[in-house]
Amino acid sequence: MTNAAPSLDQIRSARFRTEREAGWKRLDALVLQAENNGLHRLGYDEAQELASLYRQAMNALSVARAISMDRALLSYLDALCARAYLVVYAPQESLRGLFARLITHGIPQAVRRSSPALLIGFVAMLLGILLGAALYDLDKSWFYTFVPGELASGRTPEASADYLRSTLFDGGQDSHDELGGFATFLFSHNTQVAILTFALGIFVTLPSFVLTFYNGLILGAFWKVFDEKGLAYEITGWLSIHGVTEMAAFCIACAGGAQLGLAVLLPGAVTRREALRQRGRDAVKLMILAGLMLISAAILEGFFRQTVQSTEARLAIGWGIGLAWVLWLTLSGREAEA
Amino acid sequence: MKAHTATNLPAWEAKGLLRHTPPESVPLTFRLSSLGARFGAQMLDILITYAGVLILAIALTWVGIFSWDGLMAFYALATFFMRIPYYVLSELVWNGRTLGKRILGVRVISLDGRRLTPHQIVARNLMKEVEVFLPMATLFGAASMTWWLALVLLAWMGGTLLVPVFSKLNQRLGDMIAGTVVVETPKPQLLPDLSTQSAARGYEFRPEHLGIYGRFELQTLETILRDPPKNPEMRKRVSDVAQTIRRRIGYDEEVQASREWDFLLEFYRQQREFLESRTLFGDTRENKFHTAAAKPPER
Repeated sequence: MTNAAPSLDQIRSARFRTEREAGWKRLDALVLQAENNGLHRLGYDEAQELASLYRQAMNALSVARAISMDRALLSYLDALCARAYLVVYAPQESLRGLFARLITHGIPQAVRRSSPALLIGFVAMLLGILLGAALYDLDKSWFYTFVPGELASGRTPEASADYLRSTLFDGGQDSHDELGGFATFLFSHNTQVAILTFALGIFVTLPSFVLTFYNGLILGAFWKVFDEKGLAYEITGWLSIHGVTEMAAFCIACAGGAQLGLAVLLPGAVTRREALRQRGRDAVKLMILAGLMLISAAILEGFFRQTVQSTEARLAIGWGIGLAWVLWLTLSGREAEA
Repeated sequence: MKAHTATNLPAWEAKGLLRHTPPESVPLTFRLSSLGARFGAQMLDILITYAGVLILAIALTWVGIFSWDGLMAFYALATFFMRIPYYVLSELVWNGRTLGKRILGVRVISLDGRRLTPHQIVARNLMKEVEVFLPMATLFGAASMTWWLALVLLAWMGGTLLVPVFSKLNQRLGDMIAGTVVVETPKPQLLPDLSTQSAARGYEFRPEHLGIYGRFELQTLETILRDPPKNPEMRKRVSDVAQTIRRRIGYDEEVQASREWDFLLEFYRQQREFLESRTLFGDTRENKFHTAAAKPPER
């Protein structure tokens, strides 16, 4: 390092500063360069220099705290080291690598670890569907209690079988715009519900369970409306093409919420805060999975539901994709566990 | 959670500071972000994302490559991506800074002294949905609610908004779950060393002159000396300081008004040298009350 020659009549801490100032200035410049252009743009020599100058500055800070009372120097070194620390200890993974690892290992392993929570999610949905259908059988007015008006858009118990059939097949040119808007509404609605289902799970799982259950109720009642008019097979196909993915996404979001709730409810041998932090890792991964599934469901819904018109193809696509999810989640990332 | 031990500084200096211990085990000092800056950064982010989506949508309509259907689908995806994914990605790429945070000079750091992990970033931003976006959405939909539901929601919103006000490190719920804290971006600025500036020597201070004050007074004097007087009023204040110090340390020579600044500079230099060498010998003098704790050495 180039030292400005310290004159002898300087006091000790001033000499200390004069000897090292050039190095600090260089570190400052390197840090600024790394901040503006990214750490990966630094050359090999520069990166090595940065690391070594950072350690020297940390050392100097430690010494300066002991020997100097110059507040300007102390606060400068403190800020410089803090800034360099933020550059040196920045996340090193590339976004692509991060995403790839999440897909191949992170998410499937998290799913396999959280079977109790997943059970809660799917049971909530199933109970909802069964109860929704059963209650509709007892009294049709339940439909209006469960299904919000904008979601039903005319597909009510009073609608004729022909009308209902027309909503399932060939959406028609005139209704295309409306359907696009409807899909949009559903997508933003779905993501919000899923995130809510997840985040509210922290209150001992109950809100997640209730929200998922309620989703099941809507689905059950909706299905029953068509079933009554003899369209059970057709509605199953219509719902399956995206619903398998979408409903599974709700269940998984609920499972994520349940992970949080279970951590609060049954923390085990650790404190609740600690349990929340541990379970939170898997819960967040489940939520990311739910988000991915919702996006896929939106794409399926937007592109395929109206273009694929035969019920058999709809069933095949819907459940085929469902099977693909299951295969991915059960088989991927196994070898790393062993 | 041992990473943030209390600062060694006295309470009035340590307010709003965070001692952060990196793997090198030399504690660093970060200033906690003010709540105003955080609120401003959040508002800026919302503005930027919504304006960006709007401009993009208008541009796409103008170009006309999408049908109405496609536009709606695009809008749905865009509004999805400008919520959580935007915050997660920007904090990942810029190491804890979104655009709004960059503009206002604040950033997220991990409390354990290690680098910010992707998990922490995702966790704190997922909770943002409950803490920020949901209350905002309900605010717009509040008109159609029954009063008791509105009241419950209001209480909940107030509760989540007050969490960062009352939590010790100004953490919101997402920060607590993720173990993160928002701090100001440090700005290193090296001011010249005052001890090398002394223009005129010629003042001799003896140990009994220098044994009065401690670190706090020295650094207060440093602050005064960093701001040379520009008008008569400030010169009067400097003169007061110089005469007070002269009286207090019992310096027997008169100090003329024209030489008061030099007197202070020289006193600062010698006082600092004295205190620093005392510290090296294990005699740390925090402030002028050090004599009450331990008698000053004779020589």
